[in-house]
Amino acid sequence: MTPAVPDEAKLDELVGTEFPGGEFTFERWWVRLVNECALADPADEAGSPVFVFLAATSAMGVSWERLWSWFGARESDGPMAGEIHTVLHRPLRVGGTYAVRGRIESARRKRGARTGVFDLVGYRLDLHETSGELAASCTSSILFPRERR
Amino acid sequence: MTSVRPGDALPDYRVGPVSAEKMKTMSALMRDANPIHFDVAAVRALGLGDRVINQGPLNQAYVVSLLGRWAGGAHRVRELRLRHLGAVHAGDRLRAHGTVLDVSEQDGELLVRCEVGLDVLGGDPVLSGTATVHVGG
Repeated sequence: MTPAVPDEAKLDELVGTEFPGGEFTFERWWVRLVNECALADPADEAGSPVFVFLAATSAMGVSWERLWSWFGARESDGPMAGEIHTVLHRPLRVGGTYAVRGRIESARRKRGARTGVFDLVGYRLDLHETSGELAASCTSSILFPRERR
Repeated sequence: MTSVRPGDALPDYRVGPVSAEKMKTMSALMRDANPIHFDVAAVRALGLGDRVINQGPLNQAYVVSLLGRWAGGAHRVRELRLRHLGAVHAGDRLRAHGTVLDVSEQDGELLVRCEVGLDVLGGDPVLSGTATVHVGG
């Protein structure tokens, strides 16, 4: 069933929606394979900011399809990545386990010259040490094209 | 490294040809079911060309490698802000590049802010943004 596209009032209501969250452990074999795929120096281990996004989205507690459905979209509607802003407060460690928490930060309907009408959704995911201290954050945006629906 | 100045160019980092096999492995590692990363037929059906499309985090990782090779490791990248501008397809050759914007000291650490980007060689820009990197001891 096609999810309903939210109107602008509903978009406002979705701001603040929290992700169920979860936990992520940087297993050595997984870090090694990701670095191989990325052509990265193996000595970097889990030091790259890219691991923040990978861990955070793996343990955000919802699938991508579920996240799209919150905004009345499916994979086939072509949601697009906008920006990603990653901040590392401390190095991420191989073997380390991190709690992932996050929320929808913004959701606005916009019109672009190339894209037409689209919804711009911002979400933030944080990685916390088991001690509770904030290790890293990533704030990303997704564009949901609307004119094709 | 302490002689870093605004306007200095980082040594380019060249990547490619980008591997479709690595995309396939990355899809499994990310549990990313989007077929544009491993199924050419799906890419064609969406009108996105005739080669599979690289994952965004891999594109970002090439920019991190540019910075890490220059600064002494990926862990030295403290902040990264990137805007997605275009796609990378299997077989593309890429250039990651950067320029120093400013240098500052914070809590005894030398931090360098850079403008960074990733382009398809002979094609369009893929990523552009800024990064803050710790340099020196």
